[in-house]
Amino acid sequence: MMVLREKKQFTVFCLMYTFLIFWTSYSIELVIKTQSLWFANTSFFIALFIGIFLSLLYAWLIVKRNSKTIATLKCIGWTNKDINSLISGFILFTTFMGFFIIVEVLFHYVAFLGYFYATNPTVFGTPYYIENLALVNLLPVFVTFTIFLFFQILAILLANRKILKVRPIIALKKVGA
Amino acid sequence: MPVDKDTMIEAIDVNKEYRRAGAIIRALADVNLTIKSGDFVLVQGPTGCGKSTLLNVLSGIDLPDSGKIIFDGENIARAQEARLSKLRRQKIGFVFQDFNLIPTLTAIENVAALLWPTVLRDKEIENRAIAALRDVNLLERKDHYPVQMSGGEKQRCGLARAIIHRPRVILADEPTGNLDPESEKQVMDLLKHINKDMETTIIVVTHRGSLASYANKIVKMEKGAIIKIQ
Repeated sequence: MMVLREKKQFTVFCLMYTFLIFWTSYSIELVIKTQSLWFANTSFFIALFIGIFLSLLYAWLIVKRNSKTIATLKCIGWTNKDINSLISGFILFTTFMGFFIIVEVLFHYVAFLGYFYATNPTVFGTPYYIENLALVNLLPVFVTFTIFLFFQILAILLANRKILKVRPIIALKKVGA
Repeated sequence: MPVDKDTMIEAIDVNKEYRRAGAIIRALADVNLTIKSGDFVLVQGPTGCGKSTLLNVLSGIDLPDSGKIIFDGENIARAQEARLSKLRRQKIGFVFQDFNLIPTLTAIENVAALLWPTVLRDKEIENRAIAALRDVNLLERKDHYPVQMSGGEKQRCGLARAIIHRPRVILADEPTGNLDPESEKQVMDLLKHINKDMETTIIVVTHRGSLASYANKIVKMEKGAIIKIQ
C-alpha cells in the first residue's frame, strides 16, 4: 500500500525495470537464436550492468528519501527487522510489477499479431506459427526475472545496512535545524 | 538500588557530551531527576540547554555517556536497540514538534502504523485507531492525508498515534512549537486530559513559559544541568 502511494518514484522505477527486463530477455532470446552473438552478448551484459546499478540505486534512494520516516518508525517502536521487511517489500513489489507488466505486454503482442494474421490470411498468404510471432518467449523472461530477483537480494542487503545506520534521533531534529 | 513503586523514570548522575566542529559540548551534566507515575512534567530552558537531550536519553532514543536511566524499574542506559524498540512500543508515546506523520498515509493509517508490526488483527488495530482518533476529536478527519490537515489537526493526529497503545509515558518535544495559540490550547488540554483520565505520565519539553499551568512539576535547565525543580 505504501509503495503504491509513492506514485512518482514507484512509477519511474517500475517502468525502468519493465524496460530492462524486456531488454535483457530480448538479448537472451537473441543469444538463443544466435542471430548476432556478439551483439546479443554485449546487449545482455549492458542490460545486466544497468539492472544491478538501478537496483542498488533504488534501494539507496528509498532509504535516503524516507530516512525521517524510518527514524520516526524507530521512535514509535518499530524494530530494524520490521523496517527491513517494509523496505524489502517496497523493492520486491516494484520488481514483480515490472515482471507482470512485461509478461502482459508480450502476451498481448502475440495475441494481437495472431488475431491480425488469422483475420487477414490473404494479405500475407503464408501460414504462421505462434512461436514465430512471439517477440520474446517465456523462458528468457523467466531467466531474466530470476537474475533480477538476485539483484534485488543485493539491493535489500544494501538497504538493510543503510537502515541500521538511521538513528531514531533524526526524527526529533527540527526542520531546518 | 530499590526503586520507589510510584517512580516511573529516574535519571541518576546522567552525563552526555557531543562533539561538534571539534568542540565538546556538555549537553547533560550530572543530571538527577525522578518522575513519578502520573506526573505532568514540563522541562523548560533556553535553546541549547539540553532539554531535548534529556528527553532523548529518558526515552532510550539516545544513550547517556554515564549514569543510569531507570525506566519503570529497568535500567535502559545500556540496553540493546531491540529491547529499546520493544520498550518504546509498549510503554512510550512520542509527540514531535514537526508532527512526523507519514505523508502517504491517511490519519487513521498514521495512527494504526504503530501497531502494524504487532500480532494484533487488522480489525482490532482499526478499532483502536478509531478510538484514539475519537479521543483527540479527529475522527471526522480519519481519511484525510496530512497535507489536507491543519497544523493543530496534524498534532492531534500525532497525539492519537502516541496513545493508541495506551503507553505509560508520553514524551513531547516542543509539541506546540509550530501551532497557533488556539491549537496550542487544544493540544495541551488534550495532554492534560490524557494525563488525568488515563493516568499517563507526561513529559513536555518546551521553551514557552505560558504552559506552566498545565504541569505539576516544572524542571528548569541551563547549560546541561537542572537548576530548579518546582
